[in-house]
Amino acid sequence: MNTFATKFSTTSAVGQLRKAQKLAAEEDEFSDAAWGSEAGFGNVAKGAPSFTVPAIPDPAAFLRLHTDDHADPSCRIKIQHGTTTLAFRFQGGVIVAVDSRATAGSYIASGTVKKVIEINPYLLGTMAGGAADCQYWETYLGMHCRLHELRNRERISVSAASKYLSNLVYSYKGMGLSMGTMICGWDKTGPAVFYVDSDGTRLKGDLFSVGSGSTFAYGVLDQGYHWDLTDAEAQELGRRSIYAAGHRDAFSGNTCNLYHVKEDGWHFIGNYDVSKMHYDGPGNVPGAPGHGYGYDIRVEGRSSANPPEASS
Amino acid sequence: MPDMVSIAQPIQQSFNPYTENGGTILAIAGADFSVIAGDTRQSEGYNIQTRYAPKVFRLTDKAVLAVNGFAADGNMFVKKVRQRLEWYRHAHAKDMPIRAIARLIQTMLYARRFFPYYVYNILGGIEEDGTGAVYSFDPVGSYEREACRAAGAAQSLVQPFLDNQIYFKNQTPAPGTSFPAHLPLQTVLSLVIDSFTSATERHIEVGDGLEIYVVVAKGSTSAQGLQNLRGVQELTATDDGERVFVVRRELKKD
Amino acid sequence: METSFALTGKGYVIVAADTTSARSIVKMKVDEDKIKTLSPHLLMAYSGEPGDTVQFAEYVERNIRLYQIRNIYPLRPSAAASWIRRSLAESLRSRKPYSVNLLLGGYDTATFDPHLYWIDYLGTISEVPFAAHGYGAYFALSLLDRYHDPSASLEEGLATLKRCIDEVSKRLVVSPGKYKVKIVDKDGVREVEL
Repeated sequence: MNTFATKFSTTSAVGQLRKAQKLAAEEDEFSDAAWGSEAGFGNVAKGAPSFTVPAIPDPAAFLRLHTDDHADPSCRIKIQHGTTTLAFRFQGGVIVAVDSRATAGSYIASGTVKKVIEINPYLLGTMAGGAADCQYWETYLGMHCRLHELRNRERISVSAASKYLSNLVYSYKGMGLSMGTMICGWDKTGPAVFYVDSDGTRLKGDLFSVGSGSTFAYGVLDQGYHWDLTDAEAQELGRRSIYAAGHRDAFSGNTCNLYHVKEDGWHFIGNYDVSKMHYDGPGNVPGAPGHGYGYDIRVEGRSSANPPEASS
Repeated sequence: MPDMVSIAQPIQQSFNPYTENGGTILAIAGADFSVIAGDTRQSEGYNIQTRYAPKVFRLTDKAVLAVNGFAADGNMFVKKVRQRLEWYRHAHAKDMPIRAIARLIQTMLYARRFFPYYVYNILGGIEEDGTGAVYSFDPVGSYEREACRAAGAAQSLVQPFLDNQIYFKNQTPAPGTSFPAHLPLQTVLSLVIDSFTSATERHIEVGDGLEIYVVVAKGSTSAQGLQNLRGVQELTATDDGERVFVVRRELKKD
Repeated sequence: METSFALTGKGYVIVAADTTSARSIVKMKVDEDKIKTLSPHLLMAYSGEPGDTVQFAEYVERNIRLYQIRNIYPLRPSAAASWIRRSLAESLRSRKPYSVNLLLGGYDTATFDPHLYWIDYLGTISEVPFAAHGYGAYFALSLLDRYHDPSASLEEGLATLKRCIDEVSKRLVVSPGKYKVKIVDKDGVREVEL
C-alpha cells in the first residue's frame, strides 16, 4: 500500500492528500488568525488556507461521487453548471457580459447570480463552472493583488494576476475544482483579457466566451466583432450575444450584466432582462436597435412568398 | 488536532457519510426587518425521525441562520459558526456584522470544498445600515445577498410563490400604480405561513411544526405589532437595539 | 463533423451540406453530394448514420418519383414532408430504424412560397424559416436569429449562409472543409458555388 513510489510522488491523489495533511497539521485546525479580524482567510501571506479532505485513499473520487458533474442528477450536492459569459477586447477597452442563471439539474436555482466578480477597481473575473470555486478563488486573488500593490507600489498586471490564479488552480488539478473564467482589466499594456480554467489552461486573447451557451454567443459575437467598434457598438454586441445565448441555451438566461473596462477601471453599464430584450429591446441605451432582439419581432410583416405580379 | 488522514489503513470500499433529512427553510428581507423560517420535521426516506428538530438558529441579535439538507452536518456547522462568532465577540467586544458572518460562512464552507458539508444555508438579519438582509449559500460556499430565498425539499414549490408575491413576477400593476419595493412585516409573515401550510399539503417531507424568526432593526416600528401575535417569544439578548423574536406555529402532522 | 444548413428567402430556399464522408478519424471522400433533388421543386439534405443516410434518401427519392409518375403532379412540399416524416416514424418503430436527419426545402408552385422543414431521425418535424443539423447548429442558429431575413434577396441569403459557414469554420474543432449549396425556387433546382 504505502510504496516508495506513492510516498514520494507529488502528483498522485495520495500525494495531494499528504500535502493537505501537512498543511492541516501546520494550521492546527484554527490558526491564531481565526480569533482576530482576519476571520476565515487567516494570514494570506502564509499561502492558501488548508482544506479538510475525507480520510480515504482517493478524495477526488469521493468528491466526484457526491457532487454533480452534470451527468448524474441523482447525486446530492449540486454545483452550479450552465452559463454564458463573454469578454472581448477592442479599441475602447474590454467588454464583459454575462447571464445570471444558476441551474441545479433542470431547476432554475437562481436568476439573479452575479457572474462578474469585481476583483478590484481595475480587474474583473467571470464565473463559469463551480460558483463557489470562482467566487472564492477570485476573491482570494483580489487579496493577493492588493498585497502586490503594497509590496511593489504599483498595480498588478492582468497577465500576472491571471498567471497567479492559473498556477493556484493548477496546484489543485485532479481534485475536482471546476472553473472557466476570464480575467479582464486594463494595465500598462492597455486592455487585456485572459482565459483561465481549472485544467490549468491560460490563454491571452481578444475574444472569449465560456459556458454551455458560449457557442451561441460566439455565433453573434464573431460576426459582429472588429477592433474598431465604438463603445456603444461594443456594448450592444456584448448584450446581443448574451441575449442570443439566453434565447438558444436552456441553461442560460434571465438577465444580462454588462461591464466596460476602460483606462480608469471598470464601469458597470447595466442589467438587462433577456425577455425584455426579446420583445422590447434593451431600452433607451447607446447602441440599442430600437426594437426587440427576437426573430419574430425583428422580421415582423416580412414574407418569403413571391407571387407573380399578375396573380397578386 | 486529531489525525484526519491515515493512509495505510484498510480501505472501505464505499464511503457515504451523507443523507438527506428533508424539510424546507425560507427567508425574506424587509426594509428594516428580516424573517427566517423553517419547518421542524426531520425525516430520512419515508420515516419521520422527529417532529421537532429546529433548523433555524439565532446566531446574534442581528443574525439568524437556517440550515437544511443533512441534519448532522447542519448542526455541526451551526455549532462551529457560533464558536467562531463567540471568539469574535471576545476579540472585538461586539457582535460580528452580518455581511462579515456571510463571508465567514463562505470560507468555512469552502474549507470543506473537498469534503463538503451537505448543507444549504440561508442567513437572515439586519445589516449595519439597518436594512433587512438575506444571504443564501450553496454547500461549498458560493453566496449572494437576495431579498428572498427558499431552500430544501419544497424549494421548487415555495420559491415560485415567493417570486410572484415578493418580487411580483408575472404581475402587472394596475394602471397608475406600482408595486412596493418592500412589504410590511404583517404581509411577510402571512406569506411565510401560507408558504409552509401549502408546502405541507403537497410535500411529504414538510410539516409538523413551524418556527419563524423575526429580526427587527434598531428603532423599527415593525416590532410593535409583533408582541401580541399568537405564539411569539422574544429572544433578544443584548441592548444593541436589534431585536429577535420567534413565532412558533403548528403544521399538519400526517 | 457533419453539418447542414438551410434558409428561406424571398421565393427560394437555400440548402447547404458539407461534402465530407468520414469513417472513424479518416476522411474517405471530400466531394460527396449529400443533397438529393427529390422532385423539380424539392431538395433534401441528409446526414446521420453512414449507410442509413444514402439508403433512406434513395428510398425517399424513388417513392417521390413513383408518386409523380403515377399522378403526373409531384407532391407539394408539405405533403412530401409529411410522407417522409411518417416513413421515419415507422422506421423508428421497426427492428432496425434509420438514423437520418433531414432538411427538406421546397418551393410550392401552387402558392408561390418556399417551405423549409427540419426533420430528425425520431420523426420530429418542424416548419422553420432557417434550420441546421449537426454541431454547426450550435453556432449557426444564434447567428441566423440575428441575421436571417425571410424577405432577403438571393444574394443576401447566400451572404447569410456564408456567415454560417465561416463561423463554423472558425469555431468548430472538426469543421468541414467544403459545402455543396443548392437552391430551389420558382425555376426549379440548381447548384451554386459559394
